[in-house]
Amino acid sequence: MTATARVETLVEPELDLELDAVWRNRPGFIGWLTTTDHKSIAKRYVATAFIFFLLAGVEAATMRAQLSRPENGILGPDRYNQFFTMHGTTMMFLFAVPVMIGVGLYLVPLLVGARNVAFPRANAMGYWVYLIGGVLIYGGFFVNSGPDAGWFAYTPLSGPEFSPGKRVDIWAQMITFTEIAALIAAVIIITTAFRMRSPGMSLNRIPIMVWASVVMSFMIIFAMPSVATASLFLAMDRLISTHFFNAAEGGDALLWQHLFWFFGHPEVYIMFLPGTGIISSLLPSFTRRSVFGYPALVLSIIATGFIAFGLWVHHMFATPLPQLGQSFFTAASALVAIPNGIQIFCWIATIWTGRPIFRTPLLFAIGSIIIFVMGGMTGVMIASVPFDLQVHDTYFIVAHFHYVILGGVVFPLFAGMYYWFPKVTGRMLSETAGKWNFWLMFIGVHATFFPMHQLGMEGMPRRVYTYLEGTGWGDLNLVASLGALVIFSSVVVFLGNVIHSLRHGAIAGANPWDAESLEWATTSPAPSYNFANTPVVSGRAPLWESGDELPVMTGLARDRQQVLLTTVLDAEPDSRHDHPGHTIWPFIVALTIGIFFITLIFSPWGLPIGTVLGFIAYARYIWPKKSHEPAIVELPRSVPAAEVPK
Amino acid sequence: MRRERIVADVSQLPTVVYGMRNLVSWGTTGFMIIEGFSLGLCAVTYVYLRKNTAVWPPHGTQLPQLLVPTINLAVMVLSLPLALWTKHRAERMERGATRVGLVLSSIVAVVVFGLRLAEFASLHTQWNSSAYGSIAWTILGFQGTLILIDMYDTIGITAIMFLRPESKWYPEVADNALYWIFTVASWIPLYFLIYFGPRWL
Repeated sequence: MTATARVETLVEPELDLELDAVWRNRPGFIGWLTTTDHKSIAKRYVATAFIFFLLAGVEAATMRAQLSRPENGILGPDRYNQFFTMHGTTMMFLFAVPVMIGVGLYLVPLLVGARNVAFPRANAMGYWVYLIGGVLIYGGFFVNSGPDAGWFAYTPLSGPEFSPGKRVDIWAQMITFTEIAALIAAVIIITTAFRMRSPGMSLNRIPIMVWASVVMSFMIIFAMPSVATASLFLAMDRLISTHFFNAAEGGDALLWQHLFWFFGHPEVYIMFLPGTGIISSLLPSFTRRSVFGYPALVLSIIATGFIAFGLWVHHMFATPLPQLGQSFFTAASALVAIPNGIQIFCWIATIWTGRPIFRTPLLFAIGSIIIFVMGGMTGVMIASVPFDLQVHDTYFIVAHFHYVILGGVVFPLFAGMYYWFPKVTGRMLSETAGKWNFWLMFIGVHATFFPMHQLGMEGMPRRVYTYLEGTGWGDLNLVASLGALVIFSSVVVFLGNVIHSLRHGAIAGANPWDAESLEWATTSPAPSYNFANTPVVSGRAPLWESGDELPVMTGLARDRQQVLLTTVLDAEPDSRHDHPGHTIWPFIVALTIGIFFITLIFSPWGLPIGTVLGFIAYARYIWPKKSHEPAIVELPRSVPAAEVPK
Repeated sequence: MRRERIVADVSQLPTVVYGMRNLVSWGTTGFMIIEGFSLGLCAVTYVYLRKNTAVWPPHGTQLPQLLVPTINLAVMVLSLPLALWTKHRAERMERGATRVGLVLSSIVAVVVFGLRLAEFASLHTQWNSSAYGSIAWTILGFQGTLILIDMYDTIGITAIMFLRPESKWYPEVADNALYWIFTVASWIPLYFLIYFGPRWL
């Protein structure tokens, strides 16, 4: 690396043109299939996840219409089973996790000053695999083969004896697709965050959003294998008559619950931690100070990631458990409130000691804190075994987890949408519509879910398609259903705002919020190569600290896609790495994965056919192109120079 | 528009580096963790299911045979020096020796995979006979897919090193050898679980 002391205004249009020629997507439909640009893929993740969010919302609204009065006839029991299973499955597997992955894949490279993610081809493949999984399950649903055993598909209900047909098989394979996509994205985000940061961005300067995405990714790596293993066992029990969950042959139905919840509880934090990252990222812009307690926030995120793996049995308090187990998991469940509480106090301190500007992103952030705290309070209540046994499988639980997920995932996500929309599109969302969006959603959430606490206390069970008049649950259910309408209308306002602002929104400029972090150093929207030169940072708020002049490093290739790798701890420049560029093969490999798993639902021939096709496609995917220039080689330190051949 | 101040030039940084300095190694390591953890969950399932029957393996099931699995384990363990040797040759960018190591590694992977297929008969149970059979077959098959993937990778990178032997592929050869070491290491505890679990648990 050559140090130079030049100071210059960098107006080098030919550099931008050269880089754009190398990095930009190919034109037309083929460009859509071949892109490996993290921004294009991440936008697709978010848009696809949002479509699934709308579908799940329609399912929820239909269920609320059914439950709005006693003995209603909109949905029959079988259809209702499919609706609540699809709603939960969609929200968890096709919306919440993929949307947070999409946000991470979009922002992490921009926040760390990189030109793309690590492994861009794998990134493209992950998206296609996710899409295939979503299309598969909705294809089944639209032909009346939607899964109907609940989003956690408990055995033996989901086993071959009680769920004949292909409904649960489709569900199990959809799980496999989404797990593959999530695991690929997790490895990509971790590698990008640890190896592709701008010079100077040592671990203690990493933006909190990046930390949250990294912890989310580590959690995915240790949680998703559990549900993938469980769904593999379930699929095999159903398709080739293994006996994992068949008690008559030495299997165990509770094995499913352990494997599922070992994934399922961390899943809550996989969705929620990026939400906390979003809040910590936008607070400085709207309080005009750096976030309070950076070390405490980062350590809280990491602690939550660890503790989240010690809570899964609290979903199983109604199963036979040893008393010591109950006590341990009660304590662990209460313990997780501590790091989450620390985060909330840090946010309050930031707002309190700053100069808050109540724009829509901040409103959603504050709404998130209020709703999540309410969900957290009921969480502490049901961490207690005696209380949990009273309300287990009632609407109290439905109220609790909707407060947690809406407060911890949906509100931060909307805050993030309003905050980063200018960066993604170059235009601002309407502030007036944004406030309508916020207040309708805030009121709608309470109107829908608060009455459910009472309904649960009164004993109304989950997953019933109707109830009798004499139960007295009609009024509160009607309030909840009207609340759902209000939430629905808030989402319509949001959609209208997005559609209108895409064409008519105010032009944003590079940094409309006068924000502190690197994604705002480049244009809005960011060019195909993100940054023409690599930014150099010397603190946690690079744009506030660098004034009008951003220090940069030059020297990356202009004639091919090349990225800078830096060291893990201190982000010192270490090496350069060539990216393969845009290619169709990730899409084709994803198709072969689709053929493999979907054929397996119907025939064991999926195994040899899918394997052979996959191997052929992967060979083409990986086959090298000719290098552009002679490599500069640096051998491992363990190799004595005398041994290196000339 | 924000001005930029050039403080350094990175054009002389290396483009071929080894170990965890190499980006691809991060991907390989990530998937080794994921696969290793998944195998660990299968092992936990094996132990969890053990409690459901009074005897293990269940009544009417013979103990697994040890001959073929033990031969395969021996081949795998004995192949470790070859993997390390290939890794070291690749780290020194010795084209001829690296190619020899890769060809031998490919042969070993094919032999191990063939023996793995033969191992299924040694279990003396079917996947659909009992939960014991189900988990034993699954562990054997799941770990076998790692061997299959490594076999595919090794043959592929051998072809690349003969047809397009550029310097950037040497770190990948070293990575591939590391993956084989992981494949063997992940199998050793599972071998004892599957073949000695029925005798000791």
